[in-house]
Amino acid sequence: VSVTTSAWLVLLFPLLGTIVISAGYALLPGRLAGWIGTTAIGLAFVFSVITLITILGKSPDHRQFTSSLWDYAFSAGVDAKLQILVDPLSVFMILVVSGVSTMIHLYSVTYMTADRGFNRYFAYLNYFVLSMLLLVLAGNFVILIIGWAFVGAASYILISFWYRRTTATRAGIKAFVINVVGDVGLVLGTFFLFKHTGTVDFLKTFAEVDHVFAHNATDLVVACLLLLVGAFAKSAQVPLHTWLPDAMEGPTPVSALIHAATMVTAGVYLIARMHSLFEQAPTAADVGAIGGCLTMLLAATIALVQVDIKRVIAYSTMSQIGYMIMAVCVGAYAAGLFHLMTHAFFKALLFMAAGSIIGAMAGVQSLDRMGGFRKALPFTFACFLIGGLALSGLPPFSGWLSKDDILAFLDHRGGGFLILGIAGYFGAFLTGLYTFRMIFRAFLGDPVPEARELEEGHLHHADVPRNPMTGEEEDSDVGFPGPGHYIAEREWPMKVAMSVLAVGAVAAGVLEIPGVDRGVEKFLDPTFADSALSRRVPSTKADWIGLVIGALIAVGAVAVAYLVWVRRTQLAPALQKRFAAVYTFLWNKWYFDELIDVLVVRPSLWFGRVANSVLEPIVVSGAITNGTVSVVRAGSAAVRRLQTGFLRYYAAAIVVGMSGVALYFLISST
Amino acid sequence: MTLSILIWLPLAIALIISQVPRPWVGRAAAIGSLVTLGVAISFLARFKLGHAGLQFVTDRVWISALGIHYKLGLDGLNIALIMLTTILFSAALIWASFREWDRPRVFYFHFGLAESSVLGAFCAQDLALFIAFFDLMLIPFYFLIGMWGSGERVRATTKLVVYTLVGSFFMLAAAIATGVLASDQHNTSLNFALSALAHLPLSRTSQEWIFLCFAVAFLVKMPLVPFHGWLADGYKSMPIPAVAVFSGVIAKVAAYGFLRVVLPLFPYASVHFQTLMLLIALVSILYGTSMAFTTPDARLVVAYSSVAQLAFITLGIFSLRPQGGQGALLQMVNHGLVTAPLFFIVAALAARCGGSEALRDMGGIAFRAPVLASLFMIVALATLAMPGSANFIGEFFILLGVFRAKLAIAIIAFIGVVGAAYYALRVFISAMHNRVGPTVGSREIGFLDLSGLVPLVGVVLVLAFYPQFILKRTQPSLQAAIAPAQALSGGGANPTGPFTASRTSP
Repeated sequence: VSVTTSAWLVLLFPLLGTIVISAGYALLPGRLAGWIGTTAIGLAFVFSVITLITILGKSPDHRQFTSSLWDYAFSAGVDAKLQILVDPLSVFMILVVSGVSTMIHLYSVTYMTADRGFNRYFAYLNYFVLSMLLLVLAGNFVILIIGWAFVGAASYILISFWYRRTTATRAGIKAFVINVVGDVGLVLGTFFLFKHTGTVDFLKTFAEVDHVFAHNATDLVVACLLLLVGAFAKSAQVPLHTWLPDAMEGPTPVSALIHAATMVTAGVYLIARMHSLFEQAPTAADVGAIGGCLTMLLAATIALVQVDIKRVIAYSTMSQIGYMIMAVCVGAYAAGLFHLMTHAFFKALLFMAAGSIIGAMAGVQSLDRMGGFRKALPFTFACFLIGGLALSGLPPFSGWLSKDDILAFLDHRGGGFLILGIAGYFGAFLTGLYTFRMIFRAFLGDPVPEARELEEGHLHHADVPRNPMTGEEEDSDVGFPGPGHYIAEREWPMKVAMSVLAVGAVAAGVLEIPGVDRGVEKFLDPTFADSALSRRVPSTKADWIGLVIGALIAVGAVAVAYLVWVRRTQLAPALQKRFAAVYTFLWNKWYFDELIDVLVVRPSLWFGRVANSVLEPIVVSGAITNGTVSVVRAGSAAVRRLQTGFLRYYAAAIVVGMSGVALYFLISST
Repeated sequence: MTLSILIWLPLAIALIISQVPRPWVGRAAAIGSLVTLGVAISFLARFKLGHAGLQFVTDRVWISALGIHYKLGLDGLNIALIMLTTILFSAALIWASFREWDRPRVFYFHFGLAESSVLGAFCAQDLALFIAFFDLMLIPFYFLIGMWGSGERVRATTKLVVYTLVGSFFMLAAAIATGVLASDQHNTSLNFALSALAHLPLSRTSQEWIFLCFAVAFLVKMPLVPFHGWLADGYKSMPIPAVAVFSGVIAKVAAYGFLRVVLPLFPYASVHFQTLMLLIALVSILYGTSMAFTTPDARLVVAYSSVAQLAFITLGIFSLRPQGGQGALLQMVNHGLVTAPLFFIVAALAARCGGSEALRDMGGIAFRAPVLASLFMIVALATLAMPGSANFIGEFFILLGVFRAKLAIAIIAFIGVVGAAYYALRVFISAMHNRVGPTVGSREIGFLDLSGLVPLVGVVLVLAFYPQFILKRTQPSLQAAIAPAQALSGGGANPTGPFTASRTSP
């Protein structure tokens, strides 16, 4: 098969999966829908590998392929075809997306078994992966925007999957609307580019950029900033990040999917894909890098105080995406994408392990209620620990190599970027801290009743499940959390999925060891061949110095975490009391939700209410309508009669007259 | 087969079925509308691509003393709208035929009359004929509201009659003036054929006031702010099949009027009032959107979203750029295809919560109605112009046109795009999701409702995959219609630039 054929097949299988499962939602028995979904995504992964093999068979200078099915919107100067672009970058992305998604599907087959929406769930999940694959394979801006919006819609339906929970529907609409803001940024950015290039095609745009735009030309900078709006909304960067923690309302595997393989990585991909634009508009790139850095620090500080285990991991995702955004904005494309891949492994693993604990806790997600699960959930503990070590960047785990790859590049660029690099090391310290706070609180210490029951072989079931956010009784009609819940120790599909990802989290680093191999960088090189920045890689020696510093910081962070949350447990509450203001500030997530509420949500709803209750009845209905009516009434008596009693005659006269004339012409014209 | 057959067929069928035994009237009307649809498809199949000019022209002198012609023709401007009209009338009549109506023969006769006059207005190539059809098409709706309406139907009818009569009065005066002044200023005999008038440009001052008269008539019909006083009562009172075709088709005739009559005949005035029209559209987008945010009634959410959508269409037309016009034309079809299903869905929702259309009486309906929920979801996403729907391509082209014409207006209009996401999901969530309302009885949608809904959603999905189907049929005529105004507005200053070059697909 040719490169593009297999890439089309990568899209086809999730599409078929979605169609088959939705068409047969009422008929598919048991776990069949889950297996169909998993197979569909598995086949997409198989064809991603085939695409990889075929593309590796071509010479490095000829690894760029486009293929289009039909004209999509080809009119009035716009040249959008249903087109894909296959090059090392998109192949890299489809491998990560389909690979990790397959594992998440496999895990879900068990995890969601007891849910009444099982079939619906897998239709959505397949659609989600399809959207993400479309996004990364898109060959022009229009198709990119379509994939982009599909991802937003898919995240909406999955976040509000348990649609009887008002918290879930509210989180869903929030995610969707913020993502539409991102879509708008993308569309406007496209307009600014199209104004000068006259094309929406990627390759033509990239080829034109250097000719039609001067260095840092205003329109280009504006276009890139607008693309950043899209990237920031999708990748949950400040200030468009508030949807991400709320997105935890969805089932846990969905969180894994959103955070690891799909969705939040889209922004990173976008900037990497648009690197030739961003390198011509360094101002915009710098804004992006600073935004990433801010998000990285902000999210890490918030993660330090949250108690919902899924939300801690969610903030950790924001923070890690911040690293990636920084990387791709400063030119460390290979490093950023390498971190994207390792992060996909260990973050999916962390969510799956968290799902297993939540299963054991019968739906409770608060760290305050957890503790001592080490013996009760040994496999989950091992996985969580591996994920945590990789996230914290301890050697030799994958996260160590990938994160420090980014930071070494930042340091090497020097100047202001050095500050970003130093902030990155500080962020790394915070990462170790919040990760091990979570691990120590959930797994060490005295076993909670749920853990004890599990050690004796019983799985704890809640009598009446309640929504942790509102205290509402859960409506188990739609399956939350379902009569049954599952832990990895007892279910092989969960175990297999987590083991595979654990191997990735440990060992994926071998793909890119400074001085040994530079697998990821070499593979991606053809995509970034035109980039001047990506050539400025630090020396192997500088890389290794960075790795040593990173390792020391990570070890230090874990040690501090051990001191605070295991050895001297009274220290954390004391600190919390001592720095109450800081704690409240972080607990309230820097008040971003409140800020957006005051600035955007309330004014628009207020205007809507005024329009409905004041403008409409008084101005429109009162002044305009009644004014017109009285003017007409005050007119001649004939007019008045016309619009009251004689209307019918008037109408009938017109009808009869017109019909007669029409009939005449009908007869005479045929 | 001439266009006359297409136009008069619905009325002829309506007259015939008024002789059919009462229980069969609905069925016969539905089948009749499908026959009309078939005829329309035959025209679509024979429609030649790549031509800007009229096809299937019928041209007879109607009233020679006044220079009025019975002239009909199809081109890129109306071919898609003809299809939309016949599709929507079929769907509405099929939907209606499964229900009981008082005096069914008269009821279906009005639908036949409405369809004939709408098709006539779309096909008319003579200004006087256009006006005649335009006014004729409102009469059946006066009766449909007045006799089969619900709620405040008397007040609704009065408002609709007053508004549209005032609009029609302005338009009639403007149309007569156009013909008379054209013959005066160029010393030719009186002629109302559009093709003739296009070659007799009016003086600037005449163009200006005539433009305003036409604009009032069309803006009332759409309606845009501040001409929408009849909207809430009117939409609320109309029976569902009537409101579906009214919002889906009648409102489009007004937008179509701008493209067919105003832009080609009054290019100077179109440029002169461009900013005014763009601002009216912009205000309507923001106003319609914020009304849809907060109105407590499901049907009114759809009504006010229509205001915003038609404002987008107006925005595209008055960008005076080919992209904007293309987008507007595509969006007319798209909006018709989503708004009609939305009204059917509102009816289905009301049937599940004790007849109330208030959002607070709904909730949790999705539980036992996954098919209804899926259809609603698809339509809601298309309504908010999610990328991947043809509605997005329409909006993309519209905003691209406006972006080229007036950057600031385009940027503000994007607020409407975000707002649409909120109100569309709001109505979906408050009806289908959350806790079950007290009077809600969730049950799956039945065959009766599906019969009207599924074909429309099917067309929406097909167009989502292939919007080019409409774009490539409409492009040449559209460009020809916009060209005079575009040239005056300076949009054609750089004929080699990407914005004026008419690239056609290979």
